[in-house]
Amino acid sequence: MLESLLALGGLVLLRDSVEWEGRSLLKALIKKSALCGEQVHILGCEVSEEEFREGFDSNINSRLVYHDLFRDPLNWSETGETLPGGPLEALRALCRRTDPGPVTIALDSLSWLLLHLPCTTLCQTLHTLSHQDSCHGDSSPGEQVHVLGLLHEELHGPGPLGVLSSLAQTEVTLSGAMGQASAHILYRRPQQRLTHQTQWFSILPDFSLELQGGPPLEPQPYPDPRVPSMDPTTHLTFNLRLSKKEREAKDSLTLPFQFSSEKQQALLCPGLGQATSHIFYEPDAYDDLDQEDPDDDLDV
Amino acid sequence: MAAAASCSTSTRSTGSVVVAASRNSVTSFQRRGPRASGTDSGCSRLVSIAGTRPSVRNGQLLVSTGLPALDQLLGGGLAVGTVLLIEEDKYNIYSPLLFKYFLAEGIVTGHTLLVASAKEDPADILQELPAPLLDDNCKKECDEDICNHKTESNIKMKIAWRYQLLPKMEARPVSSSRFGHYYDVSKRIPQELIEASKWHGFFLPEKISSTLNLEPCSLNHGYIKLLQFIQNIIYEEGFDGSNPQKKQKNILRIGIQNLGSPLWGDDICWTENCDSNHSLTKFLYMLRGLLRSSLSACIITVPTHLIQNKAIIARVTNLSDTVVGLESFIGSEKETNPLYKDYHGLIHIRQIPQLNNLIYDVSDVKDLAFKLKRKLFTIEWVQDNYLRQERNIYPPGFSYLLKQKDSAWGEGSLQHSTFLMSFLAKGILVSFCVRCSENKEAAVGIQSCHTLAAAFASRLVRHSEPLEQTGSGRIRQAAGPRLWHDGPRQEAPGLLVIPP
Repeated sequence: MLESLLALGGLVLLRDSVEWEGRSLLKALIKKSALCGEQVHILGCEVSEEEFREGFDSNINSRLVYHDLFRDPLNWSETGETLPGGPLEALRALCRRTDPGPVTIALDSLSWLLLHLPCTTLCQTLHTLSHQDSCHGDSSPGEQVHVLGLLHEELHGPGPLGVLSSLAQTEVTLSGAMGQASAHILYRRPQQRLTHQTQWFSILPDFSLELQGGPPLEPQPYPDPRVPSMDPTTHLTFNLRLSKKEREAKDSLTLPFQFSSEKQQALLCPGLGQATSHIFYEPDAYDDLDQEDPDDDLDV
Repeated sequence: MAAAASCSTSTRSTGSVVVAASRNSVTSFQRRGPRASGTDSGCSRLVSIAGTRPSVRNGQLLVSTGLPALDQLLGGGLAVGTVLLIEEDKYNIYSPLLFKYFLAEGIVTGHTLLVASAKEDPADILQELPAPLLDDNCKKECDEDICNHKTESNIKMKIAWRYQLLPKMEARPVSSSRFGHYYDVSKRIPQELIEASKWHGFFLPEKISSTLNLEPCSLNHGYIKLLQFIQNIIYEEGFDGSNPQKKQKNILRIGIQNLGSPLWGDDICWTENCDSNHSLTKFLYMLRGLLRSSLSACIITVPTHLIQNKAIIARVTNLSDTVVGLESFIGSEKETNPLYKDYHGLIHIRQIPQLNNLIYDVSDVKDLAFKLKRKLFTIEWVQDNYLRQERNIYPPGFSYLLKQKDSAWGEGSLQHSTFLMSFLAKGILVSFCVRCSENKEAAVGIQSCHTLAAAFASRLVRHSEPLEQTGSGRIRQAAGPRLWHDGPRQEAPGLLVIPP
């Protein structure tokens, strides 16, 4: 499922940590989408452009459109090279872009953006960015916008992490064991159940993705079958089932106040002729019969 | 007004004075028609709004939430003028479903809708509403999903033989004028129903231009815009009574999705102490003021699992009238618990409003779980899982079927007593109308039983004197719909006795 991450569309969150870094996975995914012919926009905030482009060969590098926010984030040099308005304006420019065709936008990194932008504006902009296809009328699968965000989860508290998880369509958490990296992928399809999968992988020097067996785990929508524990139907104080003898005893029980079947039929038969039952009422001496409805006096 | 409206919202025989031999009537009591002086529009007693009914407890006007099971749990339905708060589950899978049920119910009963969201376009939300099950296809659909349900009408009854000839009561709603409908979530609502309905949408990104330089204000700008929008709709369409002579009264159903998330511009999910700590609470307060003075009902979903400050969650809960929390099992350790193996999550009724009452009912049932089947969303008691013998569903509060084919129903036998006691101890059997019951044998059998030992009760409840055994099959006293009675269940008539 790792290789088809980009086919899923929407916001893909790559959560990494100090031990298991995620930039190489990000670059691997960028390379894959560049090879598929998509346009790739990169918003670079944490590393310089040279360092980011290192490792990609020239045809991929030519496809990457790099928006550099690392060198001069506050636009002090005023050369006009950097984007005016800072990162927010850069994101909004990406939202407004009108070129057709599928596009991948990589945010390197979301943590930097979280620390420099007000949170609500960032969330709203991310939402507009990842749902851009719906504004353009019909959205065929090829026209989707894929947003990849790299998030360093140790930098943020549970609040921002929770909010971004709820915004994201797919969440990939990187971890590993014994030198082998693994990705735990949580995918939320709209209107359907959540699926999650753990995939062991490694990144080759030319940033292609290699999936590995590792400690193997198949993709499954549910966790491992539970250890069968105590059956709740034992040690009940009542019977759930009847044995044959008990059933016979029950059926043969004569109920009190039971009429004979002839009398039953006689009582039932007059009921067949009429659809309603009758009320026989003989007023007492003290009864005050009044045909009016007492509720009529209420002025409600 | 509401109390007298009850006579018009129930059976449609108000016009006819005598309905002598109607096929379905099972009673000899005839309803008097309206007085010959006629009905003028000033006589508000006879005005009834489609899709509403007065509550049996206090006459408050109720609308259905779209899920009849949830209606029962909330005491009949959602009161007009109140807010239903849904606390979202962790991955927001099931709360949109409740939201859609509410809106779909509005479309089917002809109410006006107002849908507000910051995430999805309201037009898209309306396209995804579930299809209603109406009339003839209803029975077919319900029988597929609801598990087998053997009719006993052909069996000669031993105990309840007097009821053999009674017609079977219809258990499912069959027309759109009823209160509470069933929906099929695997199908979409037909397009013509959406087009025939009246709805207003509020999509936040369209209403707020993001490049606006917003000065800080005590209330979030998104919320201000939403409140103004709602107020305009209420005023223009006359839901607050501002145009009384104009037309038939109708209810406005408001649905607000994901309130409090950062997409609405609110910070409370982000940090614990933020500047706009009071935005959401102020918004809810003003919204409630708008609702109380108009004929409207509102559903709000809030991601409370994301809100960092617990005090805000408590304030939001207090400011809403009815609070329902959803907790899904995905990713939690409860997923592997055998008790919950058939369910997808728990549903917590955290708060029920205290309207026109001195006290309110906290639901005694604490373990409600939900399950999303392919077509239905069902709510059940968790303990039912191993107490029921066949996989029947016992929504609480229904007067109902007890399938105890496998239990020993000999009069006064110990197994009979213990089985029944375990059911009663869990609070399952409360209201019991023999006429409505599908298993008349069991119903009359239970009513005539009075030899239950208190030692088997897991809860000691004080009850009144047991029923006298009359032997003629006549119902002396049926345990009426008193599940939602005032205060703790003190006086359930005649079923149990505690030895002194």
